[in-house]
Amino acid sequence: MQVAVERRPTLLFLIVLAALLVVMSWSKKTRVVGETRTLFERSVMTVFSPVPKTVNLLGQNTQDMYHGYLDMRRSVAENLTLHRQVAELTKENLMLRRSYGDLSRMRSILSYSEEFSTPVVLAQVVLLDTSGRFKSIILDQGSDAGIEVNDPVVHPGGLIGRVVLTTKDLSKVQLVIDTNSSAGALIERTRRQGVVRGDGRGGLQMGFIPSLADVVLGDKILTAGIDGIYPKGIPVATVVKTLEGKDLFKTIELRPTADFSSLEEVMVLRTEKIPPQVVGYQP
Amino acid sequence: MRWLRFLIGLLIALTLHSLLGSFFPNALAFFNPYIVLVVYYSMGGNLFGAIVAGVIAGLVQDSFSGSLFGLHAFALTFCGYLVAYINSRLVLRGPLAFGLSLVGSVILHEIVIFILVNFLQNRKIDLFEQGMIVKTLITSTFGVLIYLLLSLFLREEPLEATKRPTSW
Repeated sequence: MQVAVERRPTLLFLIVLAALLVVMSWSKKTRVVGETRTLFERSVMTVFSPVPKTVNLLGQNTQDMYHGYLDMRRSVAENLTLHRQVAELTKENLMLRRSYGDLSRMRSILSYSEEFSTPVVLAQVVLLDTSGRFKSIILDQGSDAGIEVNDPVVHPGGLIGRVVLTTKDLSKVQLVIDTNSSAGALIERTRRQGVVRGDGRGGLQMGFIPSLADVVLGDKILTAGIDGIYPKGIPVATVVKTLEGKDLFKTIELRPTADFSSLEEVMVLRTEKIPPQVVGYQP
Repeated sequence: MRWLRFLIGLLIALTLHSLLGSFFPNALAFFNPYIVLVVYYSMGGNLFGAIVAGVIAGLVQDSFSGSLFGLHAFALTFCGYLVAYINSRLVLRGPLAFGLSLVGSVILHEIVIFILVNFLQNRKIDLFEQGMIVKTLITSTFGVLIYLLLSLFLREEPLEATKRPTSW
């Protein structure tokens, strides 16, 4: 039969076309009645249905992957943006905190400066050298700002030292804790006067206090205003130890009221200097 | 072996049909992968094979499209038989012959569809001429590209891929 059909392809062709016309006519009739698909059509669909189903599934998965990829790209970009924002906000926060700290200190200094009747120059510490043998700091204001040698330098915490050298825009300050420094001071409670010097270890010692003088731990030491440099009443230190000396005077150890390791802004007091002829006058 | 190739080709055509239908619904109006398959197969000059290929490919296309069941089968069988008939008399080979056969087949296919729809459903296809021209151009272009790809990978002309009938 197959051989016969293969040998008569034109006949087969005509038969097939006729059959297809019948199929079409039947399909048209069933569609009119309402049955949209014939059994034959449904069978062909069933046989080949895995292909469109698979394509659809793969298409959906591809779309999901693509959208997932897009979402991931978006998330990565968003993450980067948020990282940048966090970095910027952190930087801004640090700046604000620093500004807040600066503002607090400046307020403190300004309020403290109002206690003095003399002109005051605010200066920033640009170099701090408290670890060496000579304890000193460098300020960012100099003679152009009216600073002179022997001007006292103070801080809300207490006495800092005195100016020992000036240039146009810088000043060098000898700290009160330097061993070569000395300042006239008094015990606040008893008004007993003495001299405060640096002990070379970051602390202070008070000399010329008689052995019989009344000194107790915690006594506050202020400048006495008798040395011609420092005005009277600036806090200098607190008594932390008293020893009976070998001679007529006590050995008194003091802790400075100012924290020299964290100095940032200080005030230079432009005091009236005693003329040299007055200092050197001998009747 | 040749039927296995045809089946694979049919699955690929159906896959293309599904893909285009899913992502570019209008693309099927301008590209018919089934006719490329049938013409490629019919280029071997086997009349019996061309008839069977046309019927099967057409029925699959009809099953997954909204047309009358058998409409495309009729048109594809007609085209496939004609291409196979010509190739059984004239030994045509190469991309140019395939392209020309495809152009003629697409035009003939569209005309047959037009007549059948007009005859069976008493309605005319809108923008028939324009649609036929665009479909012919796109289907022929892609068809020739597919032919070139197949020639590149299979290293076998469609003429040798099928067996000629021994006699009429």
